[in-house]
Amino acid sequence: MHAKAESNKSRKNRKIDQDTALIEAINEGDHDLFAEIVKRYERPLYNFGLKMCGEQRDAEDIVQETFLNVFRYLKDFRFETKFKNWLYRIATSICIKKRRKSKFAPDHEFSLEDFIPRDPAAEADQLPKWAALPIDTVLSEELYNKLEEAILELPENYRLVLVLRDMEGFSTAETAQILNLTPANVKVRLHRARLFLREKLKGYYHEQ
Amino acid sequence: MSSESDHKHNAACLELFAKLSEYLDQELEADTCEKIEQHLKECPPCRNCLQTLKRTVELCKAMGTKPVPSELSRRLRSMLEQLR
Repeated sequence: MHAKAESNKSRKNRKIDQDTALIEAINEGDHDLFAEIVKRYERPLYNFGLKMCGEQRDAEDIVQETFLNVFRYLKDFRFETKFKNWLYRIATSICIKKRRKSKFAPDHEFSLEDFIPRDPAAEADQLPKWAALPIDTVLSEELYNKLEEAILELPENYRLVLVLRDMEGFSTAETAQILNLTPANVKVRLHRARLFLREKLKGYYHEQ
Repeated sequence: MSSESDHKHNAACLELFAKLSEYLDQELEADTCEKIEQHLKECPPCRNCLQTLKRTVELCKAMGTKPVPSELSRRLRSMLEQLR
């Protein structure tokens, strides 16, 4: 009786999304459909790995290890979260492990005070061109490289939040779930990461 | 209105500075948004701060993705073959 109630509860809490039918089919034995999961997620995962590690080879390893883990543990997936969120949780944990294995640099915390403009008068000037012109005009290859560089300079705990929220398009709640943080913590890290990048962009345009 | 010289010491500016991302992400209560919008009308430095932060987020979102290298595709296909 208790088991039945649990099972009903778990069915009720199932998160249905565009991957549900595919995952169900695989778990019912159609293993050829693993290829479809790879097709859907190889590019997003590769780019997630690139943004997190900055190295093509590391990003490739992250994709391969993530899919290996997915195939190994998919039968245990209970649809308590969206498949995509579960997938990124695996990828994130592989990224973190990879970083600890290689060049270990301790994370540090930013405080909001780090970003309060020291020269408020400078903020009062006209809106700078990089913020005023259409985005297509602004996003040159040089700026793209500068942004990539700045993202890699972020401490990992901020970079993860920024990449998941502003590049992979996860919501605050989803990011919190993937990283096992509170939503409030996600918001704080995201704001500081964005302020860090803003400072880098200001610096870049100031040098031009 | 904050003048450039007293902007540094304006508590309203500092309060807004802490909430800019939540404001951009529409994660604040309506009355907080109204308060922020009122302050933004009167404070050019905070307006610029908001616009440059907004543009930073837009640039991140506009970065797009790179194609998967053929070597990785090959590795993944071979992994799928082994799973069959």
